Amino acid sequence: MMKKILVANRGEIACRVLRACREAGLSTVAVCAPNDQGTLFTELADEVVLLEGDTIATTYLDQAQIINAARSTGTDGIHPGFGFLSERADFAQAVMDAGLVWIGPSPHAIEQMGDKMTARKTMKAAGVPVIPGEEVETEDEAEALIALKEAAERVGYPLLLKASSGGGGKGMRAVTSPDAFEEAAVAARREAVAAFGDGRIYVERLLSGSKHIEIQVLADRTGTTVHLGERECSVQRRHQKVFEEAPGPTMNAELREAMGAAAVAAAKAVDYEGAGTVEFLLAPSGEFFFLEMNTRIQVEHPVTELVTGVDIVREQLRIADGQPMSCGDLHLRGHAIEVRLYAEDPANGFLPAIGPLTVFRPPEGPGVRLDTGVREGDEVTPNYDPMLAKLIVWAPSRNEALERMRRALDEFVVLGTTTNVRFLRELCDNEDVVNGATTTTTIEDTWPNGWSPMRSEALVNAAMASAAAAESFGMHRSTSSSGGAAQAEGPASPFATLSRRYP
Amino acid sequence: MQHRFNVNADEVEVTLNKTDGGWDWEGATINQHTRGRLHVRMADGRTALAHAAKVGDVWWVHLDGHTFALERMEPGASSQQHGGGLVAPMPGKVLETLVEPGDEVQAGQALMVLEAMKMEHRIVAAHDGTVTAVHHQAGEQVPQGAVLLELEETN
Repeated sequence: MMKKILVANRGEIACRVLRACREAGLSTVAVCAPNDQGTLFTELADEVVLLEGDTIATTYLDQAQIINAARSTGTDGIHPGFGFLSERADFAQAVMDAGLVWIGPSPHAIEQMGDKMTARKTMKAAGVPVIPGEEVETEDEAEALIALKEAAERVGYPLLLKASSGGGGKGMRAVTSPDAFEEAAVAARREAVAAFGDGRIYVERLLSGSKHIEIQVLADRTGTTVHLGERECSVQRRHQKVFEEAPGPTMNAELREAMGAAAVAAAKAVDYEGAGTVEFLLAPSGEFFFLEMNTRIQVEHPVTELVTGVDIVREQLRIADGQPMSCGDLHLRGHAIEVRLYAEDPANGFLPAIGPLTVFRPPEGPGVRLDTGVREGDEVTPNYDPMLAKLIVWAPSRNEALERMRRALDEFVVLGTTTNVRFLRELCDNEDVVNGATTTTTIEDTWPNGWSPMRSEALVNAAMASAAAAESFGMHRSTSSSGGAAQAEGPASPFATLSRRYP
Repeated sequence: MQHRFNVNADEVEVTLNKTDGGWDWEGATINQHTRGRLHVRMADGRTALAHAAKVGDVWWVHLDGHTFALERMEPGASSQQHGGGLVAPMPGKVLETLVEPGDEVQAGQALMVLEAMKMEHRIVAAHDGTVTAVHHQAGEQVPQGAVLLELEETN
């Protein structure tokens, strides 16, 4: 029986896992980089181990340091969250070699699915349909470029270049014509090397007008593998999802059955264990193609939790402990929508933004869930991913869920840092979103020249009058004028004197 | 009471008129509510509660689901001009400089590649012109707003 879990992650997902552990009666250890001291997730853990290092590579990606932290705290198991080391087969193996429980699938399954080219081959062999495309195995840059270009000619334009070790849109480029191919390939390769240390790229047909549908699967050691229905995550900007929902608005029971069966087949093909997600592209023709399998908990897992009633993280803990999963047959109830709140400027090409969260007042009320790793007074830094929070709503119907999301976004007040809240709010009024007709190109099709907020003159004037009046009222003297108050570091920090242990 | 704001490089003057306990401008009436909040009546008759907070010189205002960042210009200050300079849109690292001083470039041409948050961003010429200076080289870290290169517009 596991009694103590170390969460090898930070921010929002660390909070999610730490809370699940607390609910399961497990004690917890957080690991934290120096620049994360005092942030929310460190306060949700029973113990905090301070990692030494000033880059991601020397902290959250430092396998030896994390395993040492687990050993020194008497940890039984490690939950990797998403990102960072969550899909690193060598880390999973190292955790197991250290006599600890790895809360995730086997290193073999991670390897099979983590390398996108290998995954394509494995899926083809298992009879799961894959997108027409070609793999290029050459490591040499010049040779690879030539081979890629030839492959591109055979696959046809428009196409997508993808990093074999890729994820999160990094190392990915859409290419519409041969002229743009070389520049895109060089950039994709460079980004892939920088982000994953692996520059291998493959070519895939770009299926425009498609929907991104993914199936959540769960598999335990007793041999049970089930799916928890689909999520639609078509709305993306720069290949990163911003609006996710369950169930898919255009899905029917028959298609759900077919895609669910394909997802279960994919999981079984690699003897999968734990929670995972099989991503598909659903073409307008109704055909679906395997995109990739994410061998970890996923950012958008809450929408599935809200419509199925299954606590996916809790199931992960149960399964890793060798127990059978607790959920029975799939029953979908109502509709859930998640939006990702980013510190970014949607009116300026979605560039990441930084600054203090001088005011951070999330919405509340029935059917509203907020998964976040920040709170008022924190500082948004360029050190990590700019996702601030996930706002998730549930309602009996899709239309009511949209209404609830609009209400919640209107209530969401973030001052001090530019966010995409208004962009998300306008998205909820988008015709394709309202009709459930979103595709992976909805954002670029709706705002081909970039997004800017729709504001009436009366509103803009009232905002300026408000700012002027606030100054005249002297409100800046009664409110805090800079964030970061909770970021206190150094010997005076109360953080250092609480019940923390350092190895 | 007069205030000036820098809104997207435009200078906007707001001259408030005192009303019963509040302020009035262009048909909008603002009254103080509780801590950090204002009661707002807009010119179109709608009312809403606004949240306001000042960070540095910038007033952040949340009103009717919209968020505004309005830089207040202190009396005597003039709006900042970067001239022909191309500035870093965010803190990051220069990956590659693609031009040298003296190069003739065309609108839309990539001049520099910047990396931030593991994403690449291209700094492109907004107009045809001649590169007059390159201030940062590959490998250098640059803060947000740093002038990366300077470009003289071709007439």
